[in-house]
Amino acid sequence: MTIPAPEGDRRAVRGGRVNPASLTLTDRLLGENGLQKWAFYLPIVFMVVFFLVPTLLTVVWSFFERTLFWMEPGFTFFSYVNFFTSARFENFLSSMFHSSISVVVSFAIGFPIAVFVRRHVPQVAQHRVILLFILPFMVSEIIRTFMLRPVLGRNGLVNTWLANLGLIDEPITIILFSPVGVIIGEVLSFLPFIVFAGFLAMEAVPKYIFEVCQDLGASRRQTFTDVIVPLAAPGIFAGSVFIFVNGLGVALIPNILGGPGAVNAGLIATQAIIALDFPLAMAVSAIMMATLLGLLYLGHRLFNLTRILEPVS
Amino acid sequence: MRDEFASAWSYRLKWLYLLGVVTLLMVPVFYNLYISFNEFGFGAYNYAFTLDWYRVVFEDQLLMTALGWTALLAVCTVVTSVPMGLLAAKFFKSTRHKVATVSLMLLPLFVPADIVASALLVFFKNLTKGLEFLSDTLGTTFFYGWFELGFMTALIGLIIYTIPYVFIVILITMGRYHPQQTEAARSCGASAWRAFWDIEFPQIRAGIFSSCAFAVILTFNEYTRTAMLKGGFDTFTSVLISQMLNTGMSEQSYAMGGLVSMVAILVIGGILVGTLVRAERLERIARAKAEPAMAS
Repeated sequence: MTIPAPEGDRRAVRGGRVNPASLTLTDRLLGENGLQKWAFYLPIVFMVVFFLVPTLLTVVWSFFERTLFWMEPGFTFFSYVNFFTSARFENFLSSMFHSSISVVVSFAIGFPIAVFVRRHVPQVAQHRVILLFILPFMVSEIIRTFMLRPVLGRNGLVNTWLANLGLIDEPITIILFSPVGVIIGEVLSFLPFIVFAGFLAMEAVPKYIFEVCQDLGASRRQTFTDVIVPLAAPGIFAGSVFIFVNGLGVALIPNILGGPGAVNAGLIATQAIIALDFPLAMAVSAIMMATLLGLLYLGHRLFNLTRILEPVS
Repeated sequence: MRDEFASAWSYRLKWLYLLGVVTLLMVPVFYNLYISFNEFGFGAYNYAFTLDWYRVVFEDQLLMTALGWTALLAVCTVVTSVPMGLLAAKFFKSTRHKVATVSLMLLPLFVPADIVASALLVFFKNLTKGLEFLSDTLGTTFFYGWFELGFMTALIGLIIYTIPYVFIVILITMGRYHPQQTEAARSCGASAWRAFWDIEFPQIRAGIFSSCAFAVILTFNEYTRTAMLKGGFDTFTSVLISQMLNTGMSEQSYAMGGLVSMVAILVIGGILVGTLVRAERLERIARAKAEPAMAS
């Protein structure tokens, strides 16, 4: 049975093939081999011009010389020397340490949820359960972070509850305006992401694997460390990198919850911009990008990160 | 080895843990809403429900102007980033360079806001100076101010922020679409656009509408990129942050936070409920179709 082409298309289409002679100039320009074809490249071009090029150029600008209000072309390591030989580098290292703790805590809290959903929730309902974590993820990070002040403060929700339950006599002060406060903020901000990444990673673990492990007499620990983690490694790694790098780079969390002296790479970069030291800001950005790309490259070599894409490819 | 399914309590405890974590993540948000409805504000011994703080927000002309700018940015972000995300998802499906494409589209997720914003700020400043030099060389003013910090630069920052989310949501929705249907439509003589609009779009519509909602919420939530790239105007979140950092949290700040949270909760909650209802309806239809076949 032949289904007739719509009136508008019939003049150009004969038996499913386009008749080039019948195409007008407009058809050629706006047709499938004209603008329509090139339109698909638009997002790629946009991302290259406004994301890839600026982030790569940070390396070039980081070698520029600082002027009073701007910078001028040159080749100097001054910004890097300034970064590595000052307290900024120590702050960078300590924020790396705090981010690593945030990764471990987030993994410990979030990954079991991904495993539970994959293993125990019926297939049709799995995505719906994971969608629950979209809600906190989509509420402004600023609100969630800032509201931790009244929650964790001396007279905040946590201390009031604990005092009412008779568990504490004095308010706990270490949970706000301290590295612990920063870690709490990072975990609560980025935890949903490890649940999403963990769930995506668990797509690579067939459900029957759990039964096979059980039949073969593997303990829960063995099943987790020897079977689940290696199979889900790409997703776990991607989620961990996300938390680690954002812990290093999101200035808002140490700014609001860290108290005096709490600094990470993002805060160093923004403070440098406020001080009109653009080459230093660019050097910090370049170091962050190098850290990120280095971690992703390492993860790709170790775990083949393209495996994460299999469900959507 | 003990079968975990055998213990109903273990199963219930795991559910309780999951819901407990979701609640824990929402505690700051609910606490904000709780304070914002208190006539006496934060830390008061007494509690009396009021909407007065929200009325104060809506009566503040500066805030309403900022809200207008944010709304305009949100509309422009949706109008640009959703079609681009869709084009990128379709490009990803057809290209052989999948790793490069997906890396480029998703990398902004991994790069912290302050780093992207700093890089873009310096990029736009350099671009403006470069274009001014070009204009002077050519003896024209045509290229003046193209990338001056302002609405367009803020919009570009927001597109880069939202496009990975839009891309991934649409891509996941497209995963359920069988491209053979497009091929069938094309072999029947449909143009590429008609095949997309009549066959594919109805099936990925949910993903596209969800990505629109995400783009709006992300625009309302975003602060760092907008603050660095916006130039002279204020957005709702930039006013809120400025109040929080400079004058401390006032009752009005809690109401502003409550407003932003409520919009996100209503939109995402609506999507969640809509998704559940739709899935339930489709299951019911599938069951109704399967029952006669099962009976025979």
